[in-house]
Amino acid sequence: MALTAGQRKKTAASVLLSLPLMAFALAFIVYPLLAGGLTAFQASTIFDQSGSFNGIQNFIALFRSDGFAKSAGFTVGFSAIVVTIEMVLGFGLALLLNRTFPGKKLFFTMILLPIMVAPALLGIMFRLLLNGDIGAVPALLHGMGLSVSLFSPSSVVPLLVVLDVLQWTPFTFLIIYAGLQSFPGELLEASAMDGAGPFRSLVHVIMPVLKPVLFAAFFLRTIDALRTFDVIYVLTAGGPGTSTTTLSIYIYKAAFESGDFGKAAAAALVVLVCLIPFVPFIVKRIASTGIEAQR
Amino acid sequence: MTALSTPLVPRTRRSPRNGRKWIFTIAVGLVALLVNVPLLNALLVSFKPTGEIAKNPLSLPTAPTFDHYANVLYASGYNFPQFFLNSTLIALGTVALVLLIAVPSTYAIIRLGFGGRWIINSASGLRLLPAIFFVVPFFVLFSAAGLQDTILGLIVANTFLNLPLAIILLASGLRDIPNEIEEAAAMDGASVYRTLLGIVLPMLAPTMVAVSVLVFIFTWNDYLFALVLSTSNSTPVTLGAANFVTSTGIRWGDISAASFLSTLPPLAFAVFAQRYLVSGLSAGAVKG
Repeated sequence: MALTAGQRKKTAASVLLSLPLMAFALAFIVYPLLAGGLTAFQASTIFDQSGSFNGIQNFIALFRSDGFAKSAGFTVGFSAIVVTIEMVLGFGLALLLNRTFPGKKLFFTMILLPIMVAPALLGIMFRLLLNGDIGAVPALLHGMGLSVSLFSPSSVVPLLVVLDVLQWTPFTFLIIYAGLQSFPGELLEASAMDGAGPFRSLVHVIMPVLKPVLFAAFFLRTIDALRTFDVIYVLTAGGPGTSTTTLSIYIYKAAFESGDFGKAAAAALVVLVCLIPFVPFIVKRIASTGIEAQR
Repeated sequence: MTALSTPLVPRTRRSPRNGRKWIFTIAVGLVALLVNVPLLNALLVSFKPTGEIAKNPLSLPTAPTFDHYANVLYASGYNFPQFFLNSTLIALGTVALVLLIAVPSTYAIIRLGFGGRWIINSASGLRLLPAIFFVVPFFVLFSAAGLQDTILGLIVANTFLNLPLAIILLASGLRDIPNEIEEAAAMDGASVYRTLLGIVLPMLAPTMVAVSVLVFIFTWNDYLFALVLSTSNSTPVTLGAANFVTSTGIRWGDISAASFLSTLPPLAFAVFAQRYLVSGLSAGAVKG
């Protein structure tokens, strides 16, 4: 088919405009993906990456050591707990703020602040707050006659759950709150006229309409929780023992503490392959949220 | 914003009295304080003289001091100002590189039919993949390319981390702009480039600001890639703020001052650019 001069110019322009993205993607997305995949099948270390192929040796070593399975279990369990709590609290908070009251603007801004603080810096701040010598929380507990060692094996996981909830409930809140703002008010008036109480409206009117937004908040938080690194690494470095080692911490340590790039790449590949089947589903879910339909 | 004033859950038919409104003020105020306890605590500790920090963890500073801030900024051997400068350069550089790459290509994808929907979908998909996968290949690549422990290297790494979100947001921003103006410009013989620069960019400006704010914050807050790809020359504040451990002990006061200073730029955006932030974060999450 013959293209007109105008069309040809347009095609040329579109290629030229996309060139930076294509070049960048090739060098820093496609290449690392392939290189990472390849490393998983090589005897590669932090000192020597010229290693030869060793088949599935890295994967065998990975599954023989119980560290990988343990950190996978911890990561999934931790994520399930924090995301559930954050969804419930975020939803409740969004409903609570979905009205006018004095001071709303100020408090809204304040509630969003934790999302903006670097998790690594928040980890340092948690240390200031929780340290046995200078922390306000141990001092408060001590004042109440309790002597709890916050970082002991039995209390460290609940502690990390609380900290994660403190930082990320504002995120689920924000997403759900934004969804509530586009909520068709007539629906509620109609249900109120039908005599539905607040609870029935919530379950039968609000939740179904908000479902896509709730899904979006849920998936985004889940994905982020599954790759948790900063706060836990700063606070416990995965310990005591390996009790709080997330998958990200496990892979980081395998690569840069044990220096075993092959094993780390193998672990990363396993995680990637486990996540990829969910990606199209999540992309579709997030793309089909109600807020877009509002336009 | 009219939706803000209509209560979502219909209350009892009586109109709400003022007293009930204050209950919400108190409840939400408590939540707002609670989630900010770590930040407020760091702020308090940073003004306490060293002796007071361990003695009364629960009290307000009785003799507030700026010593810790002076130490952080001027005492030799800490390098905190260097870390702060590094973070600033990395964040600004990443914003520039992300916009430079994402704006023209997103325009080509959405308006000129380059590639098609799959690029946007790949961007959404890429955002969901664990960044840790890329840590080892980036380390190897950067060591070979001489990008290890350089500002440029961290700009590249953060551009990688933030490109997907930028493309998603810019694509949805572009779709919101009516196509007719561009078509008219093309009819008048304006080239693609002139249309992009003269007509599209000004209309896309709010989205570009939102993208810039988010990319700045996310880059400023990055820790994992900084941990792997920097050793001393390009260390940002997320890594450097904990460096106040000396032979004489942990300098908690200095650490609290450094960590509070380090969160100021993102917090400033949170307060002064909240509009862009909320639209960016929720659109990025809610639209695909």
